Amino acid sequence: MDNDFILEFKNVTKQFPGVLALKDVSFDIRRGEIHGICGENGAGKSTLMKILSGVYPHGTYEGRVIFDGEELNLGESSIREAGEKGIAIVYQELTLVPTMSVGENVYLGREPLDGQAINWNKLYADTKKILSNYELDVPPHEIVRNLGVGKMQMVEIAKALSENAKVLILDEPTSALSEAEVEKLMDILKTLKAHGITCIYITHRLEEFFRITDRVTVMRDGKAVVTEATENLSVEKLVRHMVGREMKERFPKGNRKPAEVVFDVKDLQALDPNDSNRKVLNGVNFDVRRGEILGIAGLMGSGRTELVMTLFGEYGKVINGKIKLGDKEIKPRSAREAIDAGLSLVPEDRKGMGLVLIQSILKNISLPNLDQFAGLFRIDVDAELKASMQQAKSLTIKTPSLEALVETLSGGNQQKVVISKWLLSTPIVLIMDDPTRGVDVGAKYEIYKLMNDLAEKGVAIIMISSELEEVLGMSDRVMVMCRGHSAATLSMQEANEERIMSLATGIAS
Amino acid sequence: MESTQSEQSKLSFTAELFQIARRNAQTYTILLALVGIWLIFFFTTGGAYLGAQNVSNLFRQMSVTAFLAAGMVLVIVTGNIDLSVGKMAGFVSVVVAYLQANTWYDYLPNQPLLAAVLSVTIGLAVGALFGAIQGYIIAYLNVPSFIVTLAGLWLFNGLILLVTEGKTIPANQPWFSDIAQGYVPTHWGWVFAALAIGFLFWNMFRSRQNKQKHGFELRNIYVDLLITGFAALIILIYVYNVNNYRGVQNPVLLLAVTVAIMVYISNNTRFGRYAYAIGGNRDAARLSGINIRSMVFRIFVLMGFLSGVAGIVLASYVGYGTIAAGQGYELDAIASCILGGTSTLGGIGTVPGAMIGALIIASLSTGLQMMNVAPAWQYVVKAIVLVLAVLADVYFKKNR
Repeated sequence: MDNDFILEFKNVTKQFPGVLALKDVSFDIRRGEIHGICGENGAGKSTLMKILSGVYPHGTYEGRVIFDGEELNLGESSIREAGEKGIAIVYQELTLVPTMSVGENVYLGREPLDGQAINWNKLYADTKKILSNYELDVPPHEIVRNLGVGKMQMVEIAKALSENAKVLILDEPTSALSEAEVEKLMDILKTLKAHGITCIYITHRLEEFFRITDRVTVMRDGKAVVTEATENLSVEKLVRHMVGREMKERFPKGNRKPAEVVFDVKDLQALDPNDSNRKVLNGVNFDVRRGEILGIAGLMGSGRTELVMTLFGEYGKVINGKIKLGDKEIKPRSAREAIDAGLSLVPEDRKGMGLVLIQSILKNISLPNLDQFAGLFRIDVDAELKASMQQAKSLTIKTPSLEALVETLSGGNQQKVVISKWLLSTPIVLIMDDPTRGVDVGAKYEIYKLMNDLAEKGVAIIMISSELEEVLGMSDRVMVMCRGHSAATLSMQEANEERIMSLATGIAS
Repeated sequence: MESTQSEQSKLSFTAELFQIARRNAQTYTILLALVGIWLIFFFTTGGAYLGAQNVSNLFRQMSVTAFLAAGMVLVIVTGNIDLSVGKMAGFVSVVVAYLQANTWYDYLPNQPLLAAVLSVTIGLAVGALFGAIQGYIIAYLNVPSFIVTLAGLWLFNGLILLVTEGKTIPANQPWFSDIAQGYVPTHWGWVFAALAIGFLFWNMFRSRQNKQKHGFELRNIYVDLLITGFAALIILIYVYNVNNYRGVQNPVLLLAVTVAIMVYISNNTRFGRYAYAIGGNRDAARLSGINIRSMVFRIFVLMGFLSGVAGIVLASYVGYGTIAAGQGYELDAIASCILGGTSTLGGIGTVPGAMIGALIIASLSTGLQMMNVAPAWQYVVKAIVLVLAVLADVYFKKNR
C-alpha cells in the first residue's frame, strides 16, 4: 500500500441531467501537505468536494476515490459518516448555530454524556484543549454570534479537529476575511500542517496559493488539467491553465451601436445594512451608454451583487457617491423608486428573489407593472393579459398557457418570465445579475439574442456574469470589480481572460 | 404538462370532470366533507338537522366567526396571524352595548335609529383603529404579528372588563337588534337569490368569453355549467328552506355581501394581488416594488374593521355585551381558514374556502348539540376533523 497519499481520485466522473460536472478527474493528495485547488466558477471544484463530504454518496459517480488506503464508500445521508472517517469541510457560508456557545457548536450532535445528561464540564474542557493545542484564540464559553467572521472560522476548524479530521477542506476561507485575519489563518494552517493534518485549500485569490500551498491542482470544465508543485508555478501560469480554452461560437453577433451615456455612477460607497462597520462598496465608478451592454466581472464576494442591489435601493446604506440617470441625479431608497426612475433588475437568485413560484406566469409578469393596468378598485384584466401575452410571445416562453404555475417551468423559461416581467416596465437601464445561471445552452443563446435586440432598441444593459466567456462574448465594455471597488473598465480591445482575472484577483490594477 | 393539455380537448365530459376533480381534490374533499357531515346529521337527527329552523340557525351561528375568517384569510396569506380578533370583536360588542344601554339612553332618548347608526359607526371605527395600531407595530416597528396580537388579546380582555365592570350590558333596543336578529322579507329573499344566481352565470360566461378572446384553453361547457349550477342549487335550497321559517337572516345577507367584496378585493385589485405575492415570495414582491410595510399595515386595518363588523353583529345577535364575548372566536376563524385550504406558509388561500371551513365548524357544533353530545366530546370531534382535513391536504399535495 502506498501510504504517501492520503487521498487519490481515480477517473472520477459525475453526471447531472444535461451536464457533465466532472470528467475523468484523476489526481492525488499527499499526506500532510497543503494542496490548493483552483478554477473558475463552475469548473467542478464544488462537485468534487461534495463527493468527499458525502453529499453525493458512493455510487452516484463513476470512478474511485481512495482515502487513507481504502476506497471511500459513503452511503446515503452520509455527511456524518465522512466526518467520522476523518474528512471535514469548512464551508464558505459558515454553518454554526449563532446563538450557541463555542463549545456547544464544536460538539453539536456529539455532546459528551454523563448517563443521559450532557457533561458540560468535559465538553468545555475538551473544547479548551483543542483550541489551545492548535493555537486557536477563541474563548470556549463565548456565544458564537458575538465573534467576528475570522474567529467563527476558527470554531469551524476546531469542530473539524475535534472529530479527529485527517483531511481538512477549506472552501474559499478568506473571501470574508480582513488581511489581518487572513494572516492569522495562514499561521493556523501552518500549525495544522506541523501536526500532520492534510489541508485542501480552495480559493479564488490566486496569490494565496503561493503563500501557503505545497502543490496546486487546476480544474477547468470539470477536468483536473494540471497538478504541479507550487514552486514551479506562477500566477500567470495558473490563469493560463484556468482559462486555457478556445472561444466557441456561442454568442450571437449583435449590431449594437452604443450612443450617449445614460447611467453614470461615481465613487459609490456603501455599508453592509446589517453591519455598519463593514464597507461592501468602496469606490465604484462606471457609466453605461444607450444601446450598450456593459459587462461586470468579478469573483464571488467582490461586491457585484451588492452593487446592483444598492443601485436598486434595496441593499447597502450609501455613504458617498452619485448616481445619474440621464441628466437627473437619483437616490433610490426602495425598489419602487428605482423602477419608477427607469431601472429594472433581473436578480441573481431567480427562485428566491425573482419569482413567486406558486403563482401563474401571468401574475408574475404583471406583478411590478400592475400600476399600468389598475386603478384603485380594478385591474384591467384584458390589458394585463394582452401586454403579458405579447411579452411572453416575443420571448418565446414555452408553456401551454399563461395560467401555468411558474414552478412547473424549466430554468430557462423561468428566467424568460423574470425578464418579461422587467421588460414590461420599459426600463431605460436593465440590470441583469448572472442572467444565464443554471440555464441550458439553447436557452442561453436565446437570452443573448434578446439582450442584443434590447440594446439595439436603445436599452442600456448592465450584465453581471460569473462566466468570463460570457462577459467577453456579450459586452461592449467590461468593468472589473475587486473587493468592493471597480478595478478598471476595459474596452474589448484591452479585455481578455488573463487581464480580467488578474484585475479581479487583485494582482494587477 | 404540454401533452396533458393538448389531450384535454379530446377528453369526454366525464373524463374531464374526473380530471378536474383530481386536480382540485383538496377543494372537493372539503366540500365532500361538508356534504358528508350534513348527511350524517340528517340521518342521526331524523331529518330535523336540515329542517328550515335549523338551517336558519346554522347560517346565523356561523356568521360571526365567518366575518373574522374572511379577514383572517388575507392576514394568513401574507404570512401573518391575528390572535386578537375574537377578543377585539368582543370588545367592540361591549362598547356598542355600552353606548346603546347608557350613552344613547342618556343623550339620545327615543331616537333608536340614530342611536343604532351611531353605534355601528363607532363600532367599525374602534375596530379599524385598533387594527391600525396593531398593524403599525407589526409592519413598521417589526414586531412579529403573533406577539403583537397575543398582547392585543390580553389588552382587549382587560378593556372588556373595564367597560363592563364585570356586568352584562343589554343591547336589545329596536333597530339595533334588527341588525342581526332581523329577517329579509321573503320576496326580497328570492330577489337576492335570483340576483346572486344571475351574477354567477353571468360571471361564468364572461370569464369563458375572456378566455376565448385570449386563446386560453376552455373547460368543457358542461363542467362549468355543472359547477355554477351546483352553487346556484345551494343558494336556492337555502333560501327556500329559510323562507319556510322566517326568511334570510340579515347577518347572513351582510356576510354574503362582505364575502363578495372580499373575493373581489383579493382577485381584482392590486391590493389583493400584492397580498398573495408577499405571501408567495416576500423578496420577489419587495424587488417588484411592492411596499410590504404599507400592505401589511392596511391588511391589519381591514382585519380590525371586519372584527368591528363581527362585534356589532355579535352584540345585536345575542342582545347584550358580556365579559365572555368573543372568547375563542379567533381560533375558530383560524381553523376555518385552514380547513378551507389556506396555507400557514402564506401565499395560498381563498375567502370562499374559508367560508366553507366556517360552515363545517358551525355544522359540527349545531349537529352535535342537536344530538345532545356533551361539550367535551364536541371538542374531541372538532379536533379530529381539523387534523383529518389537514392530513388529507398534505396527502393530496404529495400525490397531485
